[in-house]
Amino acid sequence: MLLISWLSLFTWSSITISPLDALQALYQFDQDSIAQHIVRDLRLPRVLVALLVGACLAAAGVIMQGLTLNPLASPSVLGVNAGAALGMALVSTITPWFGLLGTTMAAMIGGGLAWSLVMLLGSGWRTGNEQGRLVLAGVAISALCAALTKALVIIEEDQASAVITWLAGSLTDARWQTFDAFWPVAVVGLLGASLLSPSLNLLQLGDDNARNLGVSIGFVKLIGSFLVLLLVGASLGAVGSISFVGLLVPHMAKLLIGQDHRRFLPIAILLGASLVALADTLSRAIIFPMETPAGAILALIGAPFFIYMVRKKTL
Amino acid sequence: MKLVSYFFILSLITLFLVIANLLFGAVSVPLDSIVDAFWDHTNPNHFTIHEYRFPRIIIALLVGAMMALAGALVQGVIRNPLASPDILGVSHGAGLAAVIYMTFFPDAAIEWLPLVALLGSFLAAIILWRLCGQHSTTVKLAITGVALAALYASCVDFLMLVKPLEINNALLWLTGSLWGRGWTQLSLLLPWLVLIPAALWLAKPLNLIHLGDEHATSLGTHTNTVRLAALAIAVGLTASCVAICGPIGFLGLVAPHLTRKLVGGRHQALLPATMLVGAILLLLADLAARTIDPPIELPAGIMTAIIGAPYFLWLLLRSK
Repeated sequence: MLLISWLSLFTWSSITISPLDALQALYQFDQDSIAQHIVRDLRLPRVLVALLVGACLAAAGVIMQGLTLNPLASPSVLGVNAGAALGMALVSTITPWFGLLGTTMAAMIGGGLAWSLVMLLGSGWRTGNEQGRLVLAGVAISALCAALTKALVIIEEDQASAVITWLAGSLTDARWQTFDAFWPVAVVGLLGASLLSPSLNLLQLGDDNARNLGVSIGFVKLIGSFLVLLLVGASLGAVGSISFVGLLVPHMAKLLIGQDHRRFLPIAILLGASLVALADTLSRAIIFPMETPAGAILALIGAPFFIYMVRKKTL
Repeated sequence: MKLVSYFFILSLITLFLVIANLLFGAVSVPLDSIVDAFWDHTNPNHFTIHEYRFPRIIIALLVGAMMALAGALVQGVIRNPLASPDILGVSHGAGLAAVIYMTFFPDAAIEWLPLVALLGSFLAAIILWRLCGQHSTTVKLAITGVALAALYASCVDFLMLVKPLEINNALLWLTGSLWGRGWTQLSLLLPWLVLIPAALWLAKPLNLIHLGDEHATSLGTHTNTVRLAALAIAVGLTASCVAICGPIGFLGLVAPHLTRKLVGGRHQALLPATMLVGAILLLLADLAARTIDPPIELPAGIMTAIIGAPYFLWLLLRSK
């Protein structure tokens, strides 16, 4: 992860930056060097935001898969992303004076509503249900939210440019102020997630067994859902719609470490962080010097994986 | 008798919507001058009616009918209430092929677009078939289709981001809209109308297949030939519609279901009726899309998604 972030600091820039400059900017800042200014003011916040977003989305994916016992559960598949987008589009087209905080709140509320609808309609809280149903419910809600978002974007054209860049999920506009607004929420969410992981382990045994072992199931599910919203809402509010990290990373971590949530949650967080930082680096590389949104790259990697998962798991 | 009256009512609604579509929009045209405006070149509304609304309405009628028919065929063959060309990723496959064609050969003739789309949708259908095989459950088939559709959609997004110069053309077309479609597009669609009688001819064998393969075979039906033919026709119908309007979601899913409620599952009645219902839905969606906030137009595909997605959820809740 450190290696990737260091790479991301200097590679594929419009102005040449040497690897050494990237390190010096961190330790011995030189006021006169343009390269070091770029690293410090543009690249560093961008990498930090990418790392945090990856960590948050991965943790959210772990929690969702743990709560629903559904290997396909993740923010993008179960409609949280689309709902958040709709909430954000509503707020930024109707009341454009809200700042970053306002849109983050809107994204959280929208995502929360979408998710609870999906869980309700897909009967996700009952275990032993046909799991595909939940996924299809998520897809349908996503389609609905996406259609409404598009309609809003077309009707309110003047305020919509922000929403469009946001939908593509790019880290281009990540600055220090994005990072400042983002990190407290992210840290709270990640801490909460690691506190929750022992209970998630017990939930894997099934509701009845977990209850016998002294887990208050309703409480865990409530806290878990809240944490997911916090993590997803904050990262979506910061950089826009980035999909498939939450689906992909928990499985990678499980492959590496095994089923114990206490151990694979931190690994998933690290993996997610590296993945998003890597995607962001690639996003600058593909058609240099223009940028492809990182979200598009992740979707290209993630969709085949989704198909693979559907095939592998007997639904 | 009941059936005839249903057809009569559906046709009346279609006619009514056609007239409403001619009248309303950014400019309202008075009812008594429609015929005059169509034929008379000096009429102030001649351009609006003759160049914009009339061909567009015909396209809406045909596309709605063809997409609904494709949906009915697919549902008839796979016997899966959640199946339809757009949910199985066939429409998006066609879309991806067409976008690839438009981005890499921006100067190429538009006449080839339906064929390219056809190629794409056939590939998408074959990929889905390879991935799922013959014995997958209702939900698994739908999820794989949806996942494939997501893959094609993200490829399209990626292409449009990498080649932003050609974006206008593709964007205009991808939203699943009837905007700006005129006589040229209509003429592209016409050759594909041959598929409609072919589909109707399959109605009887499709009924027999519903009795079960053994009964159908003993009554002299080649079940696999019928299945293949029906699916191929459905793919062809979808591809031609997508080549004209872009992927219009949920139409092929909702129309056959609504029709089955009205006229029952007999394909001789279902197939023609579902074409009327599909046409009605698309005309309605386009009318709403044009009149909600004129002169801005919403793509009709958005309207069908807003109606269709909740319906899909409801189907999902009921399906066992």
